[in-house]
Amino acid sequence: MLSLWLGAYDQGLAYASLALGTYLTLRVLNFADLTVDGSFALGGGTAAVLITQGVPVPLALLAALVLGGLAGTVTALIHTRLGVNDLFAGILTTTGLYTITLRVMGRSNIPITDITPVVNWPSLGQGDDGRWGVALTCVMLGMVGLLTLILATDFGLALRAIGNNPIMARANAVNQAMGLTLGIAAANALVALAGALVAMYQGFADVTMGIGSLILGLGMVIIGESVLRPRSVPVALLAVVLGAILFRLMIAIALQLGLEPVDLKLTTAVLLLAAMSLGHIKLPGLNASPQGGASEPAALAGSEGEGDGEPSRGERP
Amino acid sequence: MSLQVDQLSWGHPVPGGSWRQLFQNFDFQSPSGQFTVVIGSNGSGKSTFLNLLAGTLRCSSGSIRLNDQPLQKFSDHRRARRIGRVMQNPLEGTCPGLTIAENLRLAEGRRRSAISWRGLTGVHPNRADRRRYRELLQQLGLPLADRIDTLVGQLSGGQRQTISLVMATLGQPQMLLLDEHTAALDPRAEATVMALTDRLVRQLGTTTLMVTHSLDQALRFGDRLVMLHEGRLLGDWSVQQRQHLTPDDLRKMYGSANVTQNS
Repeated sequence: MLSLWLGAYDQGLAYASLALGTYLTLRVLNFADLTVDGSFALGGGTAAVLITQGVPVPLALLAALVLGGLAGTVTALIHTRLGVNDLFAGILTTTGLYTITLRVMGRSNIPITDITPVVNWPSLGQGDDGRWGVALTCVMLGMVGLLTLILATDFGLALRAIGNNPIMARANAVNQAMGLTLGIAAANALVALAGALVAMYQGFADVTMGIGSLILGLGMVIIGESVLRPRSVPVALLAVVLGAILFRLMIAIALQLGLEPVDLKLTTAVLLLAAMSLGHIKLPGLNASPQGGASEPAALAGSEGEGDGEPSRGERP
Repeated sequence: MSLQVDQLSWGHPVPGGSWRQLFQNFDFQSPSGQFTVVIGSNGSGKSTFLNLLAGTLRCSSGSIRLNDQPLQKFSDHRRARRIGRVMQNPLEGTCPGLTIAENLRLAEGRRRSAISWRGLTGVHPNRADRRRYRELLQQLGLPLADRIDTLVGQLSGGQRQTISLVMATLGQPQMLLLDEHTAALDPRAEATVMALTDRLVRQLGTTTLMVTHSLDQALRFGDRLVMLHEGRLLGDWSVQQRQHLTPDDLRKMYGSANVTQNS
């Protein structure tokens, strides 16, 4: 039983950077980036090829990161330079990436049999699962820390402004094209890293492993957000990681209860639909906001209370 | 910073396949620090003029020089660094998902390039920034000073427009463009925002152009009043000349019915 929980935890953390990448594009930049489906497989494929050829794991992960970043850059350039709609730009890149991933891999499926670890992570008496757990926890905490710092700088503020109100961002001299390009590149680098980690964890990379990644990532983001209800960037990032773990846990439990692996994608879609609709359906006692409704954005009702010190709702802590 | 517009031309296609030349060799000068109020009927070219100055529209010929530098040759973000702008819609000028302090930081950082290595060098808005913003808002007599960590999306339209205005004046802009920035506000909020506008423009001495439909505002604010019609200057009054004008004089000059009768 413990191995089920630990396995779900490890898988969740492997998927966490997919969720972080999705958060970056969908929530921060407000850009529906379908490149994610392609860069996930690209990352997995690249890491599998390099690791089976004896390249040290950190270098293989770095290569996945770089290629994912390049894939994101291509989508961003198609969108910003050619003015192609965000969805189409992503689909174009993803379609092209299928061939590229296949070319990189040489065949459609590559097993990763033996991984030589560079760092000897403590196993906490749980064998390989424990080692994975410790290693991924460290990596993901570092990642959340790094992203928190970046998003708290002027650079991060500009990215958030681009997603929040592009007109205003431009009026305040934010280089929107450059910001979008760097943001989408970073997000896809994270997604490719997730692809590489997942391929390593499951022991193989497959050219089709990226299908549905964006929706998967979105589901993780939504689950995390509905549990933690973040009101600040660091908590939002932690929520996203938590969402990834919870999501894998739900899948693991479903499999344990006798779900056929064939039915996994449909179950995933239904689970996501449930998670998304829960945000809309008010269930008495279940959906009560812990902040006493503070999460509801106040409507812009005229201009009453013009600076007369009306009670300030939803102050950030 | 002085504004010099020479031989500006701009037109647009109209339904039916014909072409409407709105501005034809239009000249306009404004000395450094002048606060010009622009009035005119709908379609007279007021907002288009502001859009041409801001670079949201490109003129087909002519030159726009701010302090002797050609504005059209600048990239969008380079131009935005020099120009503070407040739009009519309170939703456009601010980021609702960011706090007041974060919005102010974004505007203050206009002179720097945020999307660069330099943008990664420190956490902002930090404690010192926030204290500065609180003091700034207090100095301006705004109760919002105590709420700088509130999301702007939770403010009223008037409050958002106040923040937009403060943002437009941050980061030392060389020119301020106000495009009917009080049109969406109730009379009380309008009075607050206009008082703040006057105070900020006087305090900073920024060359300012304000487009308005309110004849009351036109006769009360600014150093100069101009009336645009079909892309031409129909009237140009200094403060002294303006004293002899009444709202009725202006209404007659509009020559059409689409005058806001709220003055």
